[in-house]
Amino acid sequence: MPDVARDPAALELLRVQRSRLADRMRPRWWYLTGVAITYALVFGFPFASRFLGVSIWLFFAAALLLAVPLQWGWTRATGIWIGFRNLSYPGPGRLARYAVVVVCLGAVAVEHFLIDRNLIVVAIAVAALAVAAEVALQQALLRGIRQELQGGGDAA
Amino acid sequence: MTAKAKPDPLIHPITRLSICGLLAAGADWVEFAALRDAAGISDSVLSKQSRVLEDAGYLEVRKGAIGRRPRTWFRLTAEGRQALEGHLAWLAQLEEAVSASTQDAQQVGPIPGDRDQARRVLPPLLGSS
Repeated sequence: MPDVARDPAALELLRVQRSRLADRMRPRWWYLTGVAITYALVFGFPFASRFLGVSIWLFFAAALLLAVPLQWGWTRATGIWIGFRNLSYPGPGRLARYAVVVVCLGAVAVEHFLIDRNLIVVAIAVAALAVAAEVALQQALLRGIRQELQGGGDAA
Repeated sequence: MTAKAKPDPLIHPITRLSICGLLAAGADWVEFAALRDAAGISDSVLSKQSRVLEDAGYLEVRKGAIGRRPRTWFRLTAEGRQALEGHLAWLAQLEEAVSASTQDAQQVGPIPGDRDQARRVLPPLLGSS
């Protein structure tokens, strides 16, 4: 086994290995599709509650039933388990985490506002845009995780 | 990095440094195959070296199965993280010292046939390993 002390390139090797690990977190089509369907359920809630009288809990359960196996499949596919990170967690994806919450709450509120005024087509457009924004933000979150893995986290 | 620069003989071999360095990169748990592929080592080497690190309390191992396939997950313990941070800080110092000495050697000019120049220039760092 080579001796690290005589090989200053060890740190460089570690950087290469971390990049290899980070590459496993590149988004796959099925994951992004799953994320889009999950958010479509979330942003479809204002329509269902208004026109079908469906309870919010039913939508919450459906989104959860989709999100949990999706996350499980993602962890299994990448071989990397990243725990829950709240808004205060520092790192490259922090801004994206805030944006996910803002877009989510903002879009649902705007949809309710538009549906109340019978602007259904505009509300559908807002929902579609919100889904696209959430998928883009999910990609940004993954990019942040990749940067963190490449940088070496706290041990960098 | 705030850790005290200190070489750790257990993390010193490059395979163990790779394992610890990858586990400390930001993931909570890393699966056996992901770690093996990223480190570019064989199954047997990873098994052997991870056991050494686990026995030293640097590594936490969780075994499970998906269907009939066994799955092993690794995580760095707080003790392992602390040791790694100190070792990486020490390596970074070494890297800086080596690059500084290389610059000095370039200014002075190379000594023909002198392969051990870096070791002589850096006795405190190299000698401590």
